[in-house]
Amino acid sequence: MRRTWAIAIKEIKQISRDPITLLMLIGAPMLMLVLYGYALNFDVEDVALAVQDRDLSSASRELVDRLIGSNRFELVATLPPGSDIQEFLDRGDAVAVLIIPERFGQKLAAGETSEAQLLIDGVDSNTATTVLGYVNGIAAGINATRARESLRVEGNEHLLSAMINYQPRVWYNPEMVSSLFLVPGLIAFLLMFTAVLSTALSVVREKERGTLEQLRVKPLRTSHILLGKLLPYLAISLAGVVLILVAARVLFGVEVRGPYPDLFLATCLFLVGALGWGLLISTIADSQAVAFQIGVLSALLPTLLLSGFLFPIRNMPQPLQIISYILVPARYYLVILRGIIVKGSDLSPFWDQMAYMAIYTFVVLTLAAVRFKRQEG
Amino acid sequence: MSEETQNRRLVVEAKHLVKRFGKFTAVDDLTLSVNEGEVFGFLGSNGAGKTTAIRVFCGLLKPTSGMARVLGIDVTDDPEEIKRRIGYMSQRFSLYEELTVLQNLRFFGGVYGLRGKAYKEREKWAIEMTNLQGKEHLQTGDLPGGWKQRLALACAVMHRPKIVFLDEPTSGVDPISRRRFWRLIDEMAGEGITVFVTTHYLDEAEHCDRLALMHAGKLMALGTVSELKEVFSDRAVLEVKCPDIIAALDLMSGQDWVLETSVFGTRMHVVVRNAQEGKRLTLQLLEGSGNAPVEAREIVPSLEDVFIHHIEKEEAAK
Amino acid sequence: MYVLWRVIVKEFLQLRQDKRIIPTVVLGPVVQLILFGYAANLDVATVPLLLVDQDRSAASRELVDNFVSSTYFELMGVEDAVKDVEPWLVAGRADLALVIGAGYGNAVAAGRSPQVQVIVDGSNSTAASLGLGYANGILQAESARLVATRLQAGERSLIEIVPRVWYNPDLKSRWFYVPAVLAMILMIITMVLASMGIVREKEIGTLEQLMVTPIRSWQLIVGKLSPFAVLGLIITFLVTGIAVGWFGVPLRGSLMLLILMTMLLLLNTLGLGLLVSTIANNQQQAMMGSAFVVMLPQIYLSGLIFPIDNMPEVIQYITYAIPLRYYATILRGIFLKGVGIDVLWPEALALAAFGIGFLALASLRFQKRL
Ligand SMILES: Nc1ncnc2c1ncn2[C@@H]1O[C@H](COP(=O)(O)OP(=O)(O)O)[C@@H](O)[C@H]1O
Ligand SMILES: [Mg+2]
Repeated sequence: MRRTWAIAIKEIKQISRDPITLLMLIGAPMLMLVLYGYALNFDVEDVALAVQDRDLSSASRELVDRLIGSNRFELVATLPPGSDIQEFLDRGDAVAVLIIPERFGQKLAAGETSEAQLLIDGVDSNTATTVLGYVNGIAAGINATRARESLRVEGNEHLLSAMINYQPRVWYNPEMVSSLFLVPGLIAFLLMFTAVLSTALSVVREKERGTLEQLRVKPLRTSHILLGKLLPYLAISLAGVVLILVAARVLFGVEVRGPYPDLFLATCLFLVGALGWGLLISTIADSQAVAFQIGVLSALLPTLLLSGFLFPIRNMPQPLQIISYILVPARYYLVILRGIIVKGSDLSPFWDQMAYMAIYTFVVLTLAAVRFKRQEG
Repeated sequence: MSEETQNRRLVVEAKHLVKRFGKFTAVDDLTLSVNEGEVFGFLGSNGAGKTTAIRVFCGLLKPTSGMARVLGIDVTDDPEEIKRRIGYMSQRFSLYEELTVLQNLRFFGGVYGLRGKAYKEREKWAIEMTNLQGKEHLQTGDLPGGWKQRLALACAVMHRPKIVFLDEPTSGVDPISRRRFWRLIDEMAGEGITVFVTTHYLDEAEHCDRLALMHAGKLMALGTVSELKEVFSDRAVLEVKCPDIIAALDLMSGQDWVLETSVFGTRMHVVVRNAQEGKRLTLQLLEGSGNAPVEAREIVPSLEDVFIHHIEKEEAAK
Repeated sequence: MYVLWRVIVKEFLQLRQDKRIIPTVVLGPVVQLILFGYAANLDVATVPLLLVDQDRSAASRELVDNFVSSTYFELMGVEDAVKDVEPWLVAGRADLALVIGAGYGNAVAAGRSPQVQVIVDGSNSTAASLGLGYANGILQAESARLVATRLQAGERSLIEIVPRVWYNPDLKSRWFYVPAVLAMILMIITMVLASMGIVREKEIGTLEQLMVTPIRSWQLIVGKLSPFAVLGLIITFLVTGIAVGWFGVPLRGSLMLLILMTMLLLLNTLGLGLLVSTIANNQQQAMMGSAFVVMLPQIYLSGLIFPIDNMPEVIQYITYAIPLRYYATILRGIFLKGVGIDVLWPEALALAAFGIGFLALASLRFQKRL
């Protein structure tokens, strides 16, 4: 144990003298937190809308008012009839153009169905989908109001009660703030980052400098060296989690709703697996640049894209889903994190996720130890 | 014009040259000149400022103050013109290890504008000079250290410079390779090329026509080997052997008739005013202290003795 | 000119010997294409649905049918009590629960305000609002139908907004992300390799050797950078080929224009790489510097993945200083909109200006002195 400790202390000293690693461990996650928390999201607001009103009736004006009044759209231009709409969308000056044809109001007054056209720039499919949803909702709302009014006018008010009365309930995040969603994902991402990359880089650096050979000729067991390498990064990574939780609380008011010991337990299990992956990389890579690349490709990108952090796993093609089961432990961890941090749950519903993580950790650590040992002989 | 021709004979010229990095003075008031065709050795321990001085001469660093001229051109005026006319081999191996021997030659030749027949001729010369026949297509990284150094030298002089600066060209190679390398230097000097070479191997310094001794940025001495050894003209160097060198050193350095002492492995060099008198006093003192048997004989002073003498004088002055 | 040629030849020879090139140039793009082409998928977002039907009448079954037969929801399970909803949401097995209370059928029959509850997991705000929107649409339609049956009046006058989606009518997010991969890969590969290529010569000492040769700064810079420009163009062809041939992304504009604009982007990435190399002292610093100081903000703030319109106003202004932003607009303009330089000239100008600026700045810093 004392030997493990000696290696751990040496490691900590080296880390504290290496400003770049420190920057990587602390700066990058904070940057991500601020970026994601403030700047980046898929929430579509204030869609740039242009209107070409060829009718200019009170009905057409009401339609425009309802769209703008929904706070979903922002009127950026009023196009005179006959102007070139194609060019307008091509330049990207607006995301959507509402075209209200002549006789729009007249038709309505005559009791006919009246159509208006909405051209949507589909380049950003996500935004376009959302805009479609908004428009449908707003149209349904307008029609409902109109129906109510005409029922009242016709003296059929009693029929209003035939409509379904439904109350939507948003649990866990009633205001639907995206930081609540981001914080668990960022923690998983940060841990993958610090644990995998820094471990891999630090071992490979010792390989490059030849100091690993020095360690190996000393009377140290493989397990001492490995543990000594793992412990400091375990500590640093845990400190990183605390940092993120504090920052999330201060900046975005996000609190952990479930029990801390459960959070700690799940985090440790995930971390050991991630550290093991870092070690495994270090037994493959010969230079820091290669280790960095393998780390980014095998850990960072998958955690960002395949863990369910940004994109739902259930919508991915089967082979990628299978890959995510085998190679992306963050998918399990993320479910647990969301459960504990956002939903206030404890660990008990997640025994299956914990089991998967335990299997992953065991396999990866064994592989790393075996490969590490073999290189010794 | 007449000044020009006069300067041609002085290939390198420095007057009160100073180079500072922040507060640290790496080259301190250096004044020297190198004549055309000579092998000029620049001798000094690590950190003495040799590389810094060479970098100033090559136009890589701007001098803080003072004057430096190479081939008659002031280094602050036109460093690019200097670069066209000199050869330089930097302290570290400076070849592309992943390229082959020929690819390296072609690249460095090309950088100096050598092409076509002119290049082919130099390539042939370089291969012969470095003795790399048959190895032209090997990767440079796979060559032994001595070969790499010869190739680096060939690359540095592809364009037939008037003067070549070699910064510790032989550090880290085996003695045989060092010998061969120095033979190359001698050959180049024979062709009239001025060679400005730094080293901290004192045995190599004996190859040089003239030497400059540097320590902590300062020039300590300048001259031919025999001129340098003249500091011992009024004194003698004794080589002393005895069982306990450390005790002997302590004892001797306290004596007023001992001028300098230094340890060389299991022996000790002692500088005294008079050989016979010194030998007698040494035997008497050491055997008296029970450090017997003692052997003491007068030797011809080596460059190392000269070097140590200067450093001790400098340290004592501080 | 001959000197420049020798430098370029040397760079290519070195590139060929570099074992890192294959994984970087082939593996990286392939992994990213697969991830962004297949995983980054927000379109067919079916919402996992939990059903609590306490009514079990014909009317409630009809409502449930409307949910299940829509393409928006996938029924994951059925529970009897509202209290059983929680475990499903906690474990993330369902995102939305539809609760139909007892008495729904009777209320429908009597025309007395039938009650329905929709519970949504708000922890993923995007998915939640999507699910709510879908549920809202289905319930509104059902309401309208119920009123209409009561009224027995059939059609009434309605406002219909007919949407037409341009450029990407099926709203495939692949069309959005796959061109973005081109921009990211170009940025990563050309910039990192260029900066590391120069810093490595610093590390092994050959740069010092070169500085004492009569080579001119511009020859050295152009010679060192041009192989990476060529590499960038090869990547452009490769990724464009895969995007069009494999992922079916349309290339509606001119390939020639795409190449020209890519060259403008390369001025930027290579200039930035050179700039990093004048600051960094070793390859690790160059790598970290390019990754975190330059690439991360460039990629995130360019609108390649996250739309700029969704960002706070202050940050939207910052994005004007991000050259990749202009390239992103150009890329999507050429691929999906099929527009030409007549529309894209402001972006092209901005890209060129930034590129020349970076290169000039870097060249000034990169001098043949230590
Ligand atoms: N760029 C620099 N900045 C600061 N100090 C330097 C720099 N280059 C050299 N030095 C310092 O100048 C001194 C002389 O170095 P150098 O000329 O390399 O010595 P030598 O070649 O004789 O071993 C050393 O102490 C070194 O640390
Ligand atoms: Mg030196």
